[in-house]
Amino acid sequence: MITRRAFLGTAGVLVVSVSVPGTSGATSAAGALAPTVFVRVDRRGRVVATVPKPDAGQGVRTMAAVLVAEELAVEVADVALEQAPGDTATYGSQAVANSSSSRQLAEPLRTAAATARCLLVAAAAARWGVPPEECVARAGRVEHPRRKALPYRVLVSEAAALDPATVPVTLTPPERWRLIGRTRAGRADARDIVTGRARYGIDAPPSGSLVAVVARPPWLGALVSSAADAAALAVPGVVAVVRLDPPAAGQGGVAVIASSTAAALRGRDALRVGWTGGTPAADSREWLAGLESALPAAPAADVRRVYRLPLLAHAPMEPMNATAHVTATGAEVWAPTQDPGRVRTQVARQLGLPESAVRVTATLAGGAFGRRIETDPVLEAVACARAAGRPVTVRWTRDDDTRHDSYRPMSVHRLSATLDADGLPVGRSHQVATWPLTVNPAFDNPAIVRLSGNHFPYAVPGDVSVTLRPAPLRTGFWRAVYAGQFGYAEECFLGEVARRGGHDQVDVRRRLLPEDSRLRRVLDVAAERAGRAGSSSRGVACHLDYGSAIAVIADADPGTRRVVRVHAAVDVGVAVHPSGVVAQVEGGVLDALSTVLGAQITVRDGAVVQSSFRDYPWARIGDCPDIDVRLVPSTAPIGGLGELAYPPAAAAIASALAEGGDPVTGMPYGAPVG
Amino acid sequence: MGRYRLHVNGRQRVVDVPGDTPLLWALRDELGLTGTKYGCGVGACGACVSLVDGAAERPCVRTVEESERTRITTIEGLSPRGDHAVQRAWVELDVAQCGYCQPGQIMSAVALLAEHPDPDDAQIEEALRDNVCRCGTYPRIRAAVRRAAELARGER
Ligand code: FES
Ligand code: FES
Repeated sequence: MITRRAFLGTAGVLVVSVSVPGTSGATSAAGALAPTVFVRVDRRGRVVATVPKPDAGQGVRTMAAVLVAEELAVEVADVALEQAPGDTATYGSQAVANSSSSRQLAEPLRTAAATARCLLVAAAAARWGVPPEECVARAGRVEHPRRKALPYRVLVSEAAALDPATVPVTLTPPERWRLIGRTRAGRADARDIVTGRARYGIDAPPSGSLVAVVARPPWLGALVSSAADAAALAVPGVVAVVRLDPPAAGQGGVAVIASSTAAALRGRDALRVGWTGGTPAADSREWLAGLESALPAAPAADVRRVYRLPLLAHAPMEPMNATAHVTATGAEVWAPTQDPGRVRTQVARQLGLPESAVRVTATLAGGAFGRRIETDPVLEAVACARAAGRPVTVRWTRDDDTRHDSYRPMSVHRLSATLDADGLPVGRSHQVATWPLTVNPAFDNPAIVRLSGNHFPYAVPGDVSVTLRPAPLRTGFWRAVYAGQFGYAEECFLGEVARRGGHDQVDVRRRLLPEDSRLRRVLDVAAERAGRAGSSSRGVACHLDYGSAIAVIADADPGTRRVVRVHAAVDVGVAVHPSGVVAQVEGGVLDALSTVLGAQITVRDGAVVQSSFRDYPWARIGDCPDIDVRLVPSTAPIGGLGELAYPPAAAAIASALAEGGDPVTGMPYGAPVG
Repeated sequence: MGRYRLHVNGRQRVVDVPGDTPLLWALRDELGLTGTKYGCGVGACGACVSLVDGAAERPCVRTVEESERTRITTIEGLSPRGDHAVQRAWVELDVAQCGYCQPGQIMSAVALLAEHPDPDDAQIEEALRDNVCRCGTYPRIRAAVRRAAELARGER
């Protein structure tokens, strides 16, 4: 049931709110409220959309502007965007998760804007005494062949006085779309970004805020046993040293609060903290061996391969941070978060306040990739602000961010296949040993992990088994979640089977995909774009998830072993903002390249070894292949996108490197894992 | 503590901080120029890249003391309206995803184009090698640098 409400807001603004339960593509967000969007037209004719979910680079703000502009017959640039504060009672689910932004918000946004348009048209028709069907909305006005056009601003009050239940709402049909799937408009906020005006979490603290930097556990699980703070407090600018106890105040540590970032960092250097407990001897090579020994017995098979996958950090470009101001009666929080509603709930619980006493501003986020679902930086900021009695912003250094993440779990995959006389797979087995996601108890369940990871699309019967071992460190959602591991192993293995049987990589997959399937169509498009492999080493992979389909073909130069070209074809249903869709695929390809070429997290002597982009080497511009992304026209409903490209791109890239080289045995390609 | 005179975006500014304070934090915390981003603090990511006497430098690994008597240009000093050729190219080609790395990318590109008005791929890759983009906007950055070169030459 679509809930539509229209009313005259304060200052004579027409407000339409729409919520569409059941549009949630987010299967794992069971019970989450459907998001509610608000579209307003004010007395100056300005169109404003409230976006319930934050933008971390996935483009939800741009998508909202395109949809609202389409249905309200204005230009994309004419739509002003407001970011909703954390408030699930008003806005429903605000989580940026499960590639759900478009799937959950597109229909309510279109419906809200179309409702506003139909009300404005009805108001004009009533004024003119003509049937509404004779009127059209265009360029911010309502027009009629024999009347002088009326701009929205003069119709707002009359439109708001109408009962929306009496006004039929029609969505603009696809054949009349001017903007959806066609617009060349760029990202919302683009001008603010290129002029340095865009405000991320790190830019949000109100003036006069104090800055906190936290001394964090030097090995996993260590707890503070003592803190000698005299030297830190003697540093000019340092005002307080505060102990943060987990889990109420985040992951734990000792915060140094100062008048500036530089002073807080100096104070942290001067601090002497004693630590106890934890696992000071932990080593990720042993963890990997433990997972491998947890695999069940191997089934009989003609081909078999074990893949070992490492820990990965999120490493968003903007390190973790959050700002809070706590008073006797309430709290205000500014955070680059993937879920402002969750932030509000947790801060209210932390402070023992009703949610209504907590105001959460979701800033732009400098990347997220799953890390900003977690709220530990916010809990730290609140604890510091409560102690300081003034607004405090907590800043993580890059080192903190790399070493205290919620990592993608390690995993070991044993793939087995039985082959027919032609060397084609006719039976398969995929045995996975991995860890749950400690940040979400629902994932401490092999069936849920299997559901997240297993999207095998080919007609090869077989089974997938998941063995979970207790996670030895904090693990969390990383772009594509378990599909990033399962899909990588599956496609690398299929690539090896095809290679052994002397089969063409595209051909094998075509044979194993149903004719007329979306996946087969995108594979054909990618293959056509890629042309003949010639002397290139080629890897191919497909992926079906979030209601979208993608095929990726990667070509490497056999001499230099460089990945030179990547062709991707995607069917995401309606691609609302084409440039943004292509960008998400490009981003997935670069993540894939980075993790296949060498970025991994390792643990020695209880601590994460890596500390910045120097030793967690994300791809650089010179590594970047030519990336060709085709959007395959589709009438399917809007599909998810943000996490779609990573698994097949990683598999295609690794397989291209394996063509004529060593077989893929894990990630990174050709490197020791763990 | 000391008083240091900084010449930023065409204006004389004074900051009252210890001389070894990283220029980045002086710009952000003392002068409110938050367009210059913190990404690593150790010169490894390029998020903070700004111009010092016209060259691309990393304010996170320069002190305030050594920045006296230099001319500093941050992203805010480029064109507040966004009509510098590099900014226009960035908007036209829809480069940004999260956008956080882009001030640093843009300032590196500005320095490159000042030296090589018509850079080839190798020059682009060299100049932007240590500007990490975690979102993967490299294909568009490459194209936008070339486009900015065209715009700067007055081509449409
Ligand atoms: S913040 Fe200066 S290079 Fe990373
Ligand atoms: S656009 Fe997000 S880091 Fe570059």
